Amino acid sequence: MRVIRIVEAYVGEYASGKSEVAINRALELVRTGKPVTLVDLDLVEPCYTLRPIKKELMAQGIKVLAWETRGTVGFGETGNILRAEIPWALKRPGHIVFDVGYGVGGARTLELVAGIDREPSFQVLAVINTRRPMTGTVADIVEYVRNLAPVHGLINNTHLGDETPADAVQEGARTVSEAGRRLGIPVVATTVVAEVADSIGPVDCEHNPVRVLRRYMPRAFW
Amino acid sequence: MTGLSESTSANRPAARAGSSATIPVPGEKRVFMTGNEVVAWAAIAARADIMYGYPITPQNEVMHYWTRLAPKFGKEFLQTEDELAAGFTTIGGVLAGKKAFTATAGPGNILMQEPASMAEMMRLPVVVVIMQRGGPSTATVIYSQQEVILTTFGGNGEGFRIVYSTSGLQELYDYTIKAFNTAWRYRFPVFVLADGYQAKMREPLTIYDPLARGMELVPPEQYVGRPGMPGVDRPPGHYRNTYNTEEELYEILQGHVQEYERVAPEIMEHESLETEDADLLIIAHGVVGRAAKQAVEQLREEGLKVGCFRPVTLRPLSAGALRDAVSRAKRILVVESAYGQLGKLVRDALCGLVVEMFSLYKPGVGVTPEEVVIRSKELIA
Repeated sequence: MRVIRIVEAYVGEYASGKSEVAINRALELVRTGKPVTLVDLDLVEPCYTLRPIKKELMAQGIKVLAWETRGTVGFGETGNILRAEIPWALKRPGHIVFDVGYGVGGARTLELVAGIDREPSFQVLAVINTRRPMTGTVADIVEYVRNLAPVHGLINNTHLGDETPADAVQEGARTVSEAGRRLGIPVVATTVVAEVADSIGPVDCEHNPVRVLRRYMPRAFW
Repeated sequence: MTGLSESTSANRPAARAGSSATIPVPGEKRVFMTGNEVVAWAAIAARADIMYGYPITPQNEVMHYWTRLAPKFGKEFLQTEDELAAGFTTIGGVLAGKKAFTATAGPGNILMQEPASMAEMMRLPVVVVIMQRGGPSTATVIYSQQEVILTTFGGNGEGFRIVYSTSGLQELYDYTIKAFNTAWRYRFPVFVLADGYQAKMREPLTIYDPLARGMELVPPEQYVGRPGMPGVDRPPGHYRNTYNTEEELYEILQGHVQEYERVAPEIMEHESLETEDADLLIIAHGVVGRAAKQAVEQLREEGLKVGCFRPVTLRPLSAGALRDAVSRAKRILVVESAYGQLGKLVRDALCGLVVEMFSLYKPGVGVTPEEVVIRSKELIA
């Protein structure tokens, strides 16, 4: 059987953890030995991008398509211009992970990627933190994800930064799973930092697989 | 980064009718938010009626989130053509008896000073949230504490205004709610002075419904269009920002001075840490106050007698409390992300005291606890 490559785009609410989840996914995939490209497609929010940690990720074997801060000097407030190589990312071999800007505006940016409508395994995954008030309830999540359409799966990334208790993650798992049932799409994973993951185990209370996160984004401001 | 990026109805008044939700935050919830969002939620929680605004980084998401929340809670929004208009329409909202607010930064704050002066003159309870960015001029969209003098004493006038400087997202929530109360209780313009770091940073906080906590929310009142015959059933509402003679202005301003001086002690707030026996007193405000507090904790662990005084109200400044703390110290160290703006306020408040004053001024750049520790050790050695 031909193994289809993984092509995933992480979308969602402002500060929901899209970049963190995308980075960790790329690192997980690179350990399989296949080439992995991580694409910074965030044209919405110029503050938190992959730029400052690009070299660190490249050193771990990921091909990162992103600006470096010095390359954007002079752009001023417009500081976000699509790098010419990004629309052609799908021509590259191996797995491709897109880190997309927030909201509907961010999700629409995917239209700029050539061939994305013909990519057989393309998955759009919405990252949800139920402790973000705009996506705090099942109804809010359902409404929000419908606006982002198309979305193929949900990621429960519920956390409270450095103060995350395991029961908040589990509560998030229940809320996101119920939203997934109403939307008719699966919860692909619950993502959680290692300190908390130990007390949850390999699956959460809804039997969604747990992906362990290492946090890179606290260092990624500008 | 300007403009509205998503799901905003920039020029369309939000739906007034049909909103079902009236309780903005049912009970209390521990959440993970950015500062700009916090301001929008707090304004909803304070039962603000309308926001007027013009986009400028780093405050844009205050507008983004307000416009997302507004239809759910029957609130309104008007995007104006610039910050002058945003400030004056906020005044218009207040005159109509609405809890009105606006938010801006940097060059927008400069334009906001003309309406702010009018609000001072007419004693109007406008609420303005400032997310300081680098200056002078356009400078950076990121961060500074360089709008302290502008926000406390900007405009042509005497600084009859209240300025709260917050140091994190919980305070941003608490003081945004408080700002509406202070404004409507005392009828002076109120500023919540934060910065680009607080605007964009993410941290946990507890959001709550102030009424569920038993807090009072001071109700707004109409200035214009009140019932009854003016001059017969009620005094005529004559709100002036223009006077014919010097004496007339002088008399009015004397009233403002007396009222401001009278209420100032009720409004002043500060935070102090380990000031009782401190040989070195660090003075810092806002997010830099946070770095200063962490530095004090570390220095105390090393047995060094260092304390911190953090004014929460930069205007009116808690001068008495500051003088008390300083009079016990041998040296003071003023730390800020500006070149001596807090320093100016501090010198003014300390006039007549003899104390050695040192500084760690980093205009437009953040200050870390480590830097404060190093500078403090230089001064203690």
